Amino acid sequence: MAVAAERTETAEPILRLRGVGRRFGGLQAVDGVDLEIRPGERRALLGPNGAGKTTLFNLIAGEFPPTAGTIELFGEDVTETPARLRARLGMARTYQQSRVFVGLSVEDNIYLSVLGVQTGHVFPLRSAKRDAPLRAKARAAAAEVGLGGRLDSLVGELSHGERRQLAIGMARAAEPRLMMLDEPAAGLSRGERQILTELLLALPSDVTLLLIEHDMDVALRVAQWVTMMHDGRVVAEGTPAEIRANQTVHDLYLGSRYYDE
Amino acid sequence: MSAVANAAAAKRSGPDAVTIGGWALLAVVGVVLLIAPAIFDSYWVSQILTQALWLGIAAVSLTFLNRYGGMVSLAQVAIYGVAGFAMANVVHTLNSEGGLNLGWTPWLGVAFGIGVAVLVGLLFGAIASRSYGIYFLMITLALSLFVFYFFGQVTQLSGFGGVRSVSRPGLVGDTITHPTPLYYVCLGCSVAVYALLRYVVRTPFGVALQGVRDDPERMRSLGYNVPLHRTLAFTLGAFVAAIAGILSVWFDTQISPGSIDITQTIAVLIIAVIGGLSRLEGAWLGAIAYAVINYYARQHTPTLGLWLNPGRFATIIGIVFLLIVLLSPDGLIGIGGKIRRAIGRRYGGGGARPAESEEAGAGEQAEVPAAAGTPASGTRGGLNQRRA
Repeated sequence: MAVAAERTETAEPILRLRGVGRRFGGLQAVDGVDLEIRPGERRALLGPNGAGKTTLFNLIAGEFPPTAGTIELFGEDVTETPARLRARLGMARTYQQSRVFVGLSVEDNIYLSVLGVQTGHVFPLRSAKRDAPLRAKARAAAAEVGLGGRLDSLVGELSHGERRQLAIGMARAAEPRLMMLDEPAAGLSRGERQILTELLLALPSDVTLLLIEHDMDVALRVAQWVTMMHDGRVVAEGTPAEIRANQTVHDLYLGSRYYDE
Repeated sequence: MSAVANAAAAKRSGPDAVTIGGWALLAVVGVVLLIAPAIFDSYWVSQILTQALWLGIAAVSLTFLNRYGGMVSLAQVAIYGVAGFAMANVVHTLNSEGGLNLGWTPWLGVAFGIGVAVLVGLLFGAIASRSYGIYFLMITLALSLFVFYFFGQVTQLSGFGGVRSVSRPGLVGDTITHPTPLYYVCLGCSVAVYALLRYVVRTPFGVALQGVRDDPERMRSLGYNVPLHRTLAFTLGAFVAAIAGILSVWFDTQISPGSIDITQTIAVLIIAVIGGLSRLEGAWLGAIAYAVINYYARQHTPTLGLWLNPGRFATIIGIVFLLIVLLSPDGLIGIGGKIRRAIGRRYGGGGARPAESEEAGAGEQAEVPAAAGTPASGTRGGLNQRRA
């Protein structure tokens, strides 16, 4: 962890992808992607469906290995590192569909996120004394995403919007240095999207954010820098304003999705 | 666990919560069980209650793994067989009837039996921990058959027709002439196992285990070593099953490969299912039902032509089990929940009987995780589809 602080000062990239590719049988889902994300950066990953955004997320998170290229996280080569160890390096993510634990309460869900990055969490008989701060952290994270009043609710009973909030609360609670959100606004109402945007804008500046988002209002408000993907490749990079003005981007994506809506 | 954590656990109204009515019921059942040798005849105490208690311990190891770990294990009977055979071989057997007959003291034999079974459970758990659903079931079935054939063929360990007249500690005594001490030992073990499992599922380990049950891949990306968690849970299940194995040998005074065959494997599965997999208590409820039906069906199966006679009592058992499972997918525990909910609906409306309506709520909640037993597979399927 001390290493990380050092790197923040020199502004070394927190995440560096070099020529990353992934092939599923005959499908080249991700092809030769180079990506550098600096500490504290807010980066949006855009692209039409099937562009390879989620596959890229899964590669960064370590769900499966890339078929080409290398991935560096916090200055370490993690290309071969299993997902659970990457999480413990300080990376948290959410999924397109909220993957929450439906048989557990809201508090327990977030608590598991807090507990997962602690050392020695496997030991069955941790004392409650050592556990109390983790529980407190979980409750604080629940309050932060607006679920403070529903700590004891079974997650199976939550609405879609509340599950999205919970997913973000879980990602936050692990106190990651790199947070990756996969379409956090999907399926949310206008009001809920507004709350989500506020929440993302309020993230501490030392948290690096990588965001896949189809909702332009959310993505372009939150992101400082945008990477545009198409057919598994990066086709454009720039500030939100540059991306809005880019003709390729319009043809591929915004033209059909943003302005017609 | 400290008082703070206990208070937090009590406050939570999850599906595992025991309500006030539930505690009252538990207290009544507890008192009846405590004085059972005084109110029931010795045959009932021995053949129904004692048997139900140790069968319940075997079944609760399965219920625990399924309810909290999402693992349907068919290896529990094999593991209790390992414990039983390990103990029976090292202790003294009268007239050297099978086995190694090393002449260890009975309590040393108990420790050895449980120790060996836990090690075997650790090994089996490590083998099966990366498999899910039907594949986990098949692997544990294969391991179960492996143990059965091992003891069937290695007659140095199983004797010809089993290890018989296994010596017991003085505390248990002669179970044939004085069944009451063994009854209390089984009761004590049941209470201890129940308390242990209820405690474990509230520890960080237990909460994490439930996370693994709901979505193992998500747990992995939260930083958990999922196979290790499942292996440890399986090992705990093996420890519980081993206790049942020791008790079964004391109860039967012997153990043979036939005691752990596929029929017994299925019987323990049936006990867990008819009792209800949503709560640990269901295992003992199922075991009582199984013992009662087993006993009375043998006696009272009518002769109807060629297809039914007292020799075919299993037909009756089968029909009864089918009815229970059809009427209540959550077994006898589920029927209890339905009745409480019906009472709650009738009397709970005016708020005059708050206790019942509270229980009704708990009953409904209990069905949520049961219906969502394997949500992870659906999610994974969705991800795969999108990737393609």
